[in-house]
Amino acid sequence: MQNISRIGLVLVAPALALVALLFLYPLGYSLLAAFTREGALSLDHFAKAIELYSTDILFTLVMVILATILIAIVSIAIAGAITLSETPWLVTALKALYRWPLFIPFIVAAQCMRTFLAKNGLMNNTFVSLGLIEPLQATSFLDWRGIVATFVWKQAPFVALLLAGAMASLDRATIEAARNLGASRLRLLFEIVLPQVGRTLMVALVLSFVTMLSVLSVPMMVAGSQPTMITVDMAFRINAYGDYAVANALGVISYAMTAVAAWFYLRHNLREDRA
Amino acid sequence: MSAGAAIGVEALDVSYGRTPVLREVDLTVPAGRFVAMIGASGCGKTTLLRAMSGFVAPQRGRILLDGRDVTAEPPERRGMAMVFQSYALWPHMTVAQYIGYGLKLRGASRADRDARVDAILDLIRLPGFGDRKVTALSGGQRQRVALGRALAVDPPVLLLDEPLSNLDAKIRLAMRHEIRSLQRRLGLTAVHVTHDQEEAMVMADEIVILDAGRIVQQGAPQDVYRNPNSPFVASFLGADNVIAGVTRRDGATTTLALDNGASVALPRPAAEGAHVVHFRSDAVRLDENAVGDAPALRLEGRIAQASYPGGRWRYEIETPAGRFLVDDAREAAPGQSVRLAIPADELHIFARP
Repeated sequence: MQNISRIGLVLVAPALALVALLFLYPLGYSLLAAFTREGALSLDHFAKAIELYSTDILFTLVMVILATILIAIVSIAIAGAITLSETPWLVTALKALYRWPLFIPFIVAAQCMRTFLAKNGLMNNTFVSLGLIEPLQATSFLDWRGIVATFVWKQAPFVALLLAGAMASLDRATIEAARNLGASRLRLLFEIVLPQVGRTLMVALVLSFVTMLSVLSVPMMVAGSQPTMITVDMAFRINAYGDYAVANALGVISYAMTAVAAWFYLRHNLREDRA
Repeated sequence: MSAGAAIGVEALDVSYGRTPVLREVDLTVPAGRFVAMIGASGCGKTTLLRAMSGFVAPQRGRILLDGRDVTAEPPERRGMAMVFQSYALWPHMTVAQYIGYGLKLRGASRADRDARVDAILDLIRLPGFGDRKVTALSGGQRQRVALGRALAVDPPVLLLDEPLSNLDAKIRLAMRHEIRSLQRRLGLTAVHVTHDQEEAMVMADEIVILDAGRIVQQGAPQDVYRNPNSPFVASFLGADNVIAGVTRRDGATTTLALDNGASVALPRPAAEGAHVVHFRSDAVRLDENAVGDAPALRLEGRIAQASYPGGRWRYEIETPAGRFLVDDAREAAPGQSVRLAIPADELHIFARP
């Protein structure tokens, strides 16, 4: 018995070592740097971070929450159409197309959006050539709207992928039973299908939320001006001032935002388990 | 409570991609009747049910409900309530929400819905279960709740897609009678798909046997059982002991002769020529006196194997005409010599193709 548990320990050791080395150690180090000043415990770095960047912190939170909401809407629409549509060509086309952004790195996505959303970008040019707007009316979308658009474009396929997978693995009879009683597609989606895949949706959205919080390239490239997201501020504190302490304090603040998302997720899961 | 509606299926062709599943299927189910469709896996019975319900679109043919053509109508407009093998429960709902869902879709008021759900819960013998989660029910209760969901909307037709296959044996037997008596009480038309021959025979007014996408025989259970019209139906309904023989007519009598010289006069005339003969294991008598003077096919044999499935012994008997399964009440040891007698009216004779 003792032998077996020793073998088990040996088997998990490499994984544990990796987690400790690559995650716990930097986390501890970062917390230490954020909460100490000249060897003593201090909240000075947080005071400075909030003094300088409170707008950016709020901006970050609003951007990510707004993007998460839009991602939820888009991915539910895509996964719902794939699961419930009876138009075969639509399903085939959607299945083939929606995954593409998954394979594009954030930095390339940001670059694509720059050329698409700029004042003289593809989108405005198309609107002008279609006669929808006058050339003078064209405005750049390379601000908060650009950030949200890039996040949604990049992350909605990821959430849709997980969601469509979860919907596909539902017992088809649960959908047919409701249809048989006369439920419309919209009712099927919101009253029968979504409640059964709620947990998957929640996981995918929390993962997206955390990913978006950590992206540097998109706010940097798509919206250069103030306010911006705190990843940009962190990079700036380090690159311009070598100020690791305030950068770490901002890092801890983004941990806190992640923790709130994780708390929502865990609470939701616990409630489902109890039910 | 609504009365049942008649279902008509006319020259129905269904295929999945290029694979034909149903070919030229014609079927009439009179209002208020209970029809069971049976056949081996892949014979098309579930597809036929799904075509009736509207979940599968036919390539050709029509589906009629009380004479009205519903072929092009979506499932929700057909007034046929379906019960699924997997129960199709919605895990996020309570029993009352589940049963009342169809009423909610029809815009029934809260009070009407509650009253109807209570009535249905009484009907399916689960009074007071309304507030339970559907996931907190046992298998038999789940299937009753699934039945309640279908019955709540007062459908003229009930379609049952192997609803009992996931239940354990004892509950399955009880549910057979429960479904049957509910159907009788409500006067619904019911179409039941099953792969269980006994279940079909016990529950249905009429059984329909499918093979390779066609209906091969249809009729009252006892008629089909006694007079199978093909070797397939005979085998499917348990007459799977097979011998080859040749028939000869001599005046008014037809005689069946086996290769080993055994012969019997047949009670009904048959065409001359090569035939296959099917008979059931329980038609064979090991005690010759049980047959008396009645015409019977008699064979010498030796018991090769014996087993006791309950009630009767089951023997595998080696004879010059082949190996047969025989059920008999008397105990005998392997190796023992026996004389078999198969009454002539228990022989199902078909021309050899």
